[in-house]
Amino acid sequence: MTSLLSARDLVKEFPVAGTQGLFTPAKRFTAVNRVSFDLQAGETLALVGESGSGKSTTARLAARLIDVTSGTVHLDGTDITALHGDALREVRRQIQVVFQDPFSSLNPRHTVERIVTAPLRYQKREIPGGTRAVAQQLLERVGLDPAHVGRYPSQFSGGQAQRIGIARALAVRPRVLVCDEAVSALDVSVQAQIINLLRDLQREEGFGCLFIAHDLAVVRQIATSVAVMTDGTIVETGDRDSVFGEPRHEYTKRLLAAVPRINPEWEAARRRNAAARSSEEAPA
Amino acid sequence: MTRYVVHRVGGMILVLFLVCLFTYMVFFLLSPDPAVQICGKNCTPERIDQIRENLGLDQPFLTQFLGFLGGLFTGREYGGGTSIIECPAPCLGYSFQTSQIVTDMLVQRLPVTAVVAIGAAVLWLTAGVIGGLVSAVREGRFADRFIAALTLGGMSIPNYVLALGLQYVFVVQLQWLPFPQAVPFADDPGQWFANFILPWTVLAIGYASSYTRLTRANVIDTLGENFVRTAKAKGLQPSLVWRRHALRPALTPVVTIAGMDFAGLLGGALITETVFGINGVGKLAADSITKNDQPVIMAVTLLAAFFVVVGNMVVDLLYSAIDPRVRAGAS
Amino acid sequence: MSLLTVRGLTVAFRAINHDVPVVAGLDFDLPRSGALGIVGESGSGKSMTSLAIMGLLPAGATRTGSIVFDGTELTALPERRMRAIRGDRIAMIFQDPLSSLNPYYTVGTQIAEAYRAHRSGVSRKTARKVAIEAMERVHIRDAARRVDDYPHQFSGGMRQRVMIAMALSTEPELIIADEPTTALDVTVQAQILELLAEVRRDTGAALILITHDLAVVSEVADHLLVMRRGEVVESGTAAQVFSDPRHAYTRALLDAVPRIDDTIGELRST
Repeated sequence: MTSLLSARDLVKEFPVAGTQGLFTPAKRFTAVNRVSFDLQAGETLALVGESGSGKSTTARLAARLIDVTSGTVHLDGTDITALHGDALREVRRQIQVVFQDPFSSLNPRHTVERIVTAPLRYQKREIPGGTRAVAQQLLERVGLDPAHVGRYPSQFSGGQAQRIGIARALAVRPRVLVCDEAVSALDVSVQAQIINLLRDLQREEGFGCLFIAHDLAVVRQIATSVAVMTDGTIVETGDRDSVFGEPRHEYTKRLLAAVPRINPEWEAARRRNAAARSSEEAPA
Repeated sequence: MTRYVVHRVGGMILVLFLVCLFTYMVFFLLSPDPAVQICGKNCTPERIDQIRENLGLDQPFLTQFLGFLGGLFTGREYGGGTSIIECPAPCLGYSFQTSQIVTDMLVQRLPVTAVVAIGAAVLWLTAGVIGGLVSAVREGRFADRFIAALTLGGMSIPNYVLALGLQYVFVVQLQWLPFPQAVPFADDPGQWFANFILPWTVLAIGYASSYTRLTRANVIDTLGENFVRTAKAKGLQPSLVWRRHALRPALTPVVTIAGMDFAGLLGGALITETVFGINGVGKLAADSITKNDQPVIMAVTLLAAFFVVVGNMVVDLLYSAIDPRVRAGAS
Repeated sequence: MSLLTVRGLTVAFRAINHDVPVVAGLDFDLPRSGALGIVGESGSGKSMTSLAIMGLLPAGATRTGSIVFDGTELTALPERRMRAIRGDRIAMIFQDPLSSLNPYYTVGTQIAEAYRAHRSGVSRKTARKVAIEAMERVHIRDAARRVDDYPHQFSGGMRQRVMIAMALSTEPELIIADEPTTALDVTVQAQILELLAEVRRDTGAALILITHDLAVVSEVADHLLVMRRGEVVESGTAAQVFSDPRHAYTRALLDAVPRIDDTIGELRST
């Protein structure tokens, strides 16, 4: 079976600033070192790691936002690392990206209608029924008021702006959705909403999701499989419950142990109290 | 650090070489034949050929250029036969119109331009930094808006208008300043100093305006920095917060830019020197342009480029000495 | 008697013809050596509360109500006397250690700065010794050499240790930490939280921890204030609030927290 998105031995080197000589090339820093993974349709693969682990660079390579130094990325069996022109444009349609900071990735001078339908225009597609109707449908799908198509990004909250970013990504019905720390900047209650939204949308649309995050607790809620990255390499990969339940690599163990936890006794007491409260309220 | 300096000096030499090459190309390939000019009115083709040969103008471009470069480092001779002119290193050429070695002309003019540049820099830095600080402290208040209006005026008024206007008001009408007279400093320090007051002022006004704005913006930005909040949270005296945590980061860029502007001025303030009749490099450039004295124009251009490139390097080195982050990046 | 008693603290920003409150009528007590967690989402007013206690509110903000620190009413104190308390008896740790440190000075200079500001006649040598000792206390290895390094030469976690060393140098009775681990990686966060606990054990300083992260606050604080839009919606011991939250907002907030040891079918949210 061919995977929806398949990365093999991805390597990305960057020149180190300030090391370039007059006639000598700059020193190179390896941000991503021989990274391989497979993503299936309808699945969410989380790349987790701390800052500098290379997880975001890997995502950018996979989405062909930047070019690989070596290695290949296959989308549905087609090598996309060397594509250009119309073929690349088609790849860019099929792989959409949602970024961390919702506001900086939305043009403040464009209306929501213009923002969410922009990918359609880049694809030079016919828009049945006009952009307004399409934009309204998209807003409705991500849980926003369709009547707000004429508003500007600054008139929305952070969570709503992130919904707009997701609507824009969905406009072209992508096969792969790359979420680069898409919920990291959000308040916890808003974060929960966006995670739920992503899960619902994935169930309906069946896209594969490459989910980049540093927050392991968030990853646990959304991923089907997990790849743990550090220093540019994947040290452990597996389905979610095995990575969280029986971590094998030392680094994964250390990472999991470091996550702050609410006292389990308090958690248990809270569940008991909540249950008691709801049974009290139920007869009333 | 040593590696960094070597690196920068290497880059500087390369840039200067390219400037030389380019300037030489422009002046000796694209402009009118200097031999025709030297030859004058009663000219015969034979005489032109003779002059060309004497000047080496019959040689291919590369040979001429190498001759020029050689002159820079080892000196050279001009002319032929009985009328040989020695041009010792660094030889920037020979002006047939004034019958002088160009290097000597520059050496004569450079101190005057330096006096103009130094005086102006002192004025504009003082006014710019003080104006900027006052603006920043009184942000949005009357003083800030008043200074903003002044700087707008200072930046938009052309130098020659300002120069002529100030001369008319202070020399002709009010007679607060004596009519400019070229005197050596030793003979009449008062007159010598008075000669420079207006040129300094005219040059400084434009620069001071942009420095005021730069200082204001930097100070306001720095006061909003988190580390200033940290300094306050430590319970430091406001004067200490200002001096240590606000001014140093805010003024460092101002000082470095001042270095660049100063270097630029050493190449000659063409308009100001001409208007006030100051015999500096700028006036030399202006005179040479009117006479189409190509070796001189070229030398002045090279000199200006030299100061800009060297100034640039000095500022970079200075910056890396002031800002620890740059220092680390270079090592 | 408690170390800090806050009554009816209100912070408002002056708008064109009315005041917009960002903190409205806050009450709490902090005993000596106690650890109070102030939790809330963005816009809850938690950071403004800390700046109000420090007397470092931004221009345009006004503070009313009462803040009594060790028997002294801070709101009535002239700036000069407030300055003597600030950085000496009450120290603060901020969120982003890189931007909170001045890039132009060595960490040693910056650590010793508070000490020198509050003790008269401190020689350079003593100040340097104080800085090295403070750095050793926060477990910065090779402190005697690193004291002369600049902030950019440290990693994020080490920079936050520098900030903590800076706060400790004057042996404050109260440390206010505003999102001290939010900008840090999770393994580094664990180390910094451990360090804060150790510092409290050793010095007996009281702590106000301001954070949006419920799991973090549960590991550190013994009392909690849950804030929302400038108001306290719930307060009590950490055990009380976490095991039997009374207010619907607190419950919703706790429900929305993703758990590392648990997968929830649908995250509930407010």
